[in-house]
Amino acid sequence: MIKDLFVPNAKPRPSVFLTMVACQVLFLLLLWLFYPLQLFPTLREVLASFKDLVTTQGLIQELWASLTTALGALAIATVLALLISYLTALPFFRPIAYAASKMRYLTLTGLTFFMALMVSSGHQVKLSVLVFGATVYLVTGMTSVILTTTQEEMDHARTLGMSEWRSFYEVVVLGKLDEMLEVVRQNFAIIWTMITLVETLYQSEGGIGLLLYKQNRYLHLAGVVAIQLVILATGAVQDYVFEFLRRMFFPYSTLSTAK
Amino acid sequence: MSDYTYQEPILSLRDISMQFGGEVILRDISLDVLNVVRPGVQQGQVVGFYGRSGIGKSVLCRIIAGLLPPTTGTVQVANPQRPVVPGDVGFVQQRYPLFNHRTLLDNLLVAAGRKHAPAEAKARAEDFLTRFDLAQHRRKYPAMLSGGQRQRAAIAQQLLCSEHLIILDEPFSGLDIAMIDEVKKIIMEVTTLDELNTVVIVSHDLATTTALSDTLWLLGPERDAAGQCVPGATISKQHQYNLAEMGLAWQHGIQARPEFVQLIEHLKDEIRKT
Repeated sequence: MIKDLFVPNAKPRPSVFLTMVACQVLFLLLLWLFYPLQLFPTLREVLASFKDLVTTQGLIQELWASLTTALGALAIATVLALLISYLTALPFFRPIAYAASKMRYLTLTGLTFFMALMVSSGHQVKLSVLVFGATVYLVTGMTSVILTTTQEEMDHARTLGMSEWRSFYEVVVLGKLDEMLEVVRQNFAIIWTMITLVETLYQSEGGIGLLLYKQNRYLHLAGVVAIQLVILATGAVQDYVFEFLRRMFFPYSTLSTAK
Repeated sequence: MSDYTYQEPILSLRDISMQFGGEVILRDISLDVLNVVRPGVQQGQVVGFYGRSGIGKSVLCRIIAGLLPPTTGTVQVANPQRPVVPGDVGFVQQRYPLFNHRTLLDNLLVAAGRKHAPAEAKARAEDFLTRFDLAQHRRKYPAMLSGGQRQRAAIAQQLLCSEHLIILDEPFSGLDIAMIDEVKKIIMEVTTLDELNTVVIVSHDLATTTALSDTLWLLGPERDAAGQCVPGATISKQHQYNLAEMGLAWQHGIQARPEFVQLIEHLKDEIRKT
């Protein structure tokens, strides 16, 4: 029933829900097509620009280059962030996690200079900036997941005769791995917001961020919108892949969430 | 009344006191749980543990389970007696925690594996699944189990690796009559698994718990000569009730007997006084 769409916590039929989503998308498209102020390029212009970007400017290759860089940075950042977060079990390492988390307030401008001094190639600078930016956000999310561990959970493991390390491994490492994956999924977006900055700093490797920068610089707004939509679609696919991985590897993960 | 004798201690508490930030929570608690032997009966025992909310029952349970070192005093378990360490005493907390990332069988295996070789652990886990009527749920995750199944699983998991002692925190809380009967059955089953098995039931359900128990502990503050409450709750000698000596243990239909009803009224009065 349509009225279910406006009742708190209601469960509308899938067909009703899908129809609603289709209507909302159609409304947005119509708004885009007929909005009198023409703030955005028209749909036709965006599609034409998208075709041009794909055929003459290598949008797909640039997207692939950015995606591989982003995934590489995310993998390194995830390992680093997990390490820093798990080490908070030891009081000695807690200040490191605290400091790492607070570093998300730092702007990357200026930091890149120091990173350029520390590593040898442009690619490594690019990667290290992305890794830094993602790690500080991941550490924040991961430590807050660890902090949700209750006395009851730890006591439960201890009453089974597990040592402190084994209890930590069972309750925090194994028990919250699914939530860590969710933190990674949520923070992957940070890398995409930084990619334009880092790809313009080191332009030799190209990338979709650089392409976006060029389109924006020459006020090719149709190209800007087309690239933003491609990034949006890539992000949506990424989210879907992460959800799929979560369901596959952690089938218990969503069993107790409200449906 | 049945014949019975007391033998070696299963659990001993000596001069247990606990303070948090200078505030005395528990004071001078000393008591023993001895192995009760009855001719022709292979059964462990049940201890009922009462006290008002917030009086320190959970703290004492955590001390008994070796999860919290007392400020003073010692807890000894097993035969020969030795200081308790986590894992000696099973502790089924009120919300029946299990490892949510493991299936039911895995939950039992991880517990059995603490004390037994893999093949033996597997056999024991399977045996407990059958005994606790959980065999058909072995591949399910805890979130897929009902409250009763989860409680049985949590008890089975603790039994697989504890030294005969198990504490149940509020096992009857929020259950209907049929479920209470089910839990009572499980508790009796636990005590019949081994002569030394001892179940400590922390509960506010006086009638149900007392009917199952051999011994009762009532935790509360004492009053000095001037009638003032002495800081810190304790289990005084007069608040350690031996139901076997009182002729109120191991009998069916005990709840209908006038002595039992009187005892419940007495316990209620004592709890109100604290």
